[in-house]
Amino acid sequence: MKESIVPAAPMAHHTTPSGEIYPGALNLEPVRAAHQVLHETRDTITADGNTAAALATLQMWRCILFAGFPITPSTKYIETVAAHISQQVGGKKRVKLMEAEHAVADYLVGAAAACRDLIFPTATSSVGLDHMTETTRSLGASGLGNVLLIDVYRATANFPLCIEGDPSDTLAHRDDGFIQIACRGKQQIYDTVIQSPCLGMHHDVMTPVMPGYYGIKDSHRNARLVVEPDREIHAFQDRWIKPCPFPGLVNGDTAFGNCVTSRHFQGFKVSQKRRMDRVLDVLPQISADFERQFGRPGLAFFDAVGFGDDGAADFAVVSLGPDFGTFEAVREEYAKRTRLKVAGIAMRLLTPFPRDAVRKRLERTKAVLVVNQAHHQGRGHLTLDVADALADLTTPPRIVSVFAGIGGADVSEITWEQMLDHGRGALEGRALPPWAVFHEGRQL
Amino acid sequence: MSGYKEIALRDSCFRPGSTLCPGCMESIALQNVGRVSDNGTKTIFTIGTSCAEVSSLAFPNVVAWGRGEGSPDDFAKSFSIIHNVFESAPTLAEAARDVSDMLLEHGALERPIQVIAASGDGGALSIGLRSLLHTIYRQSRITMIVLVNEIFANTGFQYSPATTPFAETSTTPVGAAQMGNPRLPLDYIHLSIAAGAGLVAQVSPAHGKLFVKTIERALACPTTAVVFVPAPCISGWKFDDGETVHLAELGAQCGTYPAFVWEQGKGGSVKDCALEAAERPAVEEFLGLQRRFHHMVQKDPQSGKFAARPGREADVERLKAWTQSNVERLYRLAELR
Repeated sequence: MKESIVPAAPMAHHTTPSGEIYPGALNLEPVRAAHQVLHETRDTITADGNTAAALATLQMWRCILFAGFPITPSTKYIETVAAHISQQVGGKKRVKLMEAEHAVADYLVGAAAACRDLIFPTATSSVGLDHMTETTRSLGASGLGNVLLIDVYRATANFPLCIEGDPSDTLAHRDDGFIQIACRGKQQIYDTVIQSPCLGMHHDVMTPVMPGYYGIKDSHRNARLVVEPDREIHAFQDRWIKPCPFPGLVNGDTAFGNCVTSRHFQGFKVSQKRRMDRVLDVLPQISADFERQFGRPGLAFFDAVGFGDDGAADFAVVSLGPDFGTFEAVREEYAKRTRLKVAGIAMRLLTPFPRDAVRKRLERTKAVLVVNQAHHQGRGHLTLDVADALADLTTPPRIVSVFAGIGGADVSEITWEQMLDHGRGALEGRALPPWAVFHEGRQL
Repeated sequence: MSGYKEIALRDSCFRPGSTLCPGCMESIALQNVGRVSDNGTKTIFTIGTSCAEVSSLAFPNVVAWGRGEGSPDDFAKSFSIIHNVFESAPTLAEAARDVSDMLLEHGALERPIQVIAASGDGGALSIGLRSLLHTIYRQSRITMIVLVNEIFANTGFQYSPATTPFAETSTTPVGAAQMGNPRLPLDYIHLSIAAGAGLVAQVSPAHGKLFVKTIERALACPTTAVVFVPAPCISGWKFDDGETVHLAELGAQCGTYPAFVWEQGKGGSVKDCALEAAERPAVEEFLGLQRRFHHMVQKDPQSGKFAARPGREADVERLKAWTQSNVERLYRLAELR
């Protein structure tokens, strides 16, 4: 073959299982140097959840391109990013406004594959996430852990329409292949977003992350937020995020694609499951490092309250999201009144479900009340996960399943007390229905 | 601009190993696009689900993409390709373009990159019309190749918005109540111009030199360039082996998909297709070579020419009237600046 019209310019390259990589083609130091600092010092501000998530991504030097499409209640994320970038004179970060959520997901694939050492974030919600699904399911298996898809929980398109926050969207996407982490409170949102790429881009994991928080309750309500200096965030992330060992489109001679025939298909799917399982080992390490550096709790499988030193409890609640805070408010008084040891866990890591950790936490309880906040065809997403976690105990605690807060409804103190009374029936040996629905202090 | 012969000797990034049907125009088109893009600039290719994709990226079979026998030492010859869902090729390309440009702007990447996207007409004009038009609208500097075989060939030859009227497809069958496709094709050329494309063309490798030069102009276009490639499908159009290039040329000359090249600010022209029907090959000759039009024409054993089947004269006249309006439309579009 005749040589190309331009003289050859040799460049070192080496082989990887995913194609050839040209390490010298990319040097991200200028990207780091171009980052405009948002916070020089640790500052305390007042912010809503979307702002907390937006600030966290804006402070990362690896986030330079923000694709988005508006959908309530996640819209303020991209608005906040756009507002900050519009103020950065001479800044090189860009907002990319797409025509639909599906386009955002496709764009994330192209961008994340182009450069696997940058982080590509977006935020969506509800049917926006559903609209992305054709591509998120591919993304979940792609090995592109540099995608950060923030899901602001909102009921999916059930009838009637609801723009409030319930986690039916994220729970409907349990099998998309993303690591799913639930947050409650602005600080936890901010801290989780900072840690998420460290987990997703870890070389053992390489799986995109979907941090999430409740729409309206957390996305729109303001609270105190401690923001860290950009340089500290960079130092933390740089300890965990190492250059991707596999080529991207820009620095590679490679092929990415969905089209895999059956024999190799099995191998890819096994690899996907193994990488997801590694999350259970890597997450605690990142969490511990985060706590060492910033003095706040890092990522967790769940938040636990009320368990004694011996780990025992008469009665434990399993739930997630900000309504768990209302349970915490009534827990002590309820325990005093009923003379029961009442404990609870608020799930943080939804996918992969930390089965062993949940079993260990609940193995010394007599009954477990699982509070589901999303529509489910059976006893509830969380109930099934908890039941699976406890299944191989010799004498598993009895599981009581309830639904409350569907459609983002508040789960009031009286509702919590009614649910606890209902669940207490398990300790008394009463027959209970497979599931029950509670709202505004009554069983419906 | 490079010489036609020089381009013909370059390394194509579309290499042996595809499982496309023998005689597939897509294979010829991609080989040529591959040669033109071997121009000293690294190439990223994005591809939506289509015949061209499932037949060329079906790991662990031979991946029919890449330049040279191994990975080249010259970074400019390195080649990357990504496939995602049907409608995604323009958006993937836009993302790769943006990331490359931003890295260049930062000084993190020294060498420029060219980005080419490929879809079928099902992927670009049906399920992916949104992505195609919005990528054009955002003026992303990519070259979009739309391989127009007028059907969803990959899924079994179903109707697409580019299907010629009266053509039989697996979802517009010929029966007592319906004579094949009842719809007129989507005016994708006008749509692309209206959305803001920098270059819009319709040309196949049957017009070899024009095709290669058009791809070269497309790669140099400062905004989105869209090249629709009429791609006779041996299995879906049901024609005889060896007729692909002839059919592509005949279809262009008789007016069903005239060769057309247009650039923003410069206007364009229709090539090798006269405005007057009398000066063009008869549409019946084009129809007669394809069994998807078996219900429309038959060969006259005396003259050896194709003519309307008895009872189908009015339909053939309607098809010819559409063909004439198609040619006139392109002549008018060529005048746009």
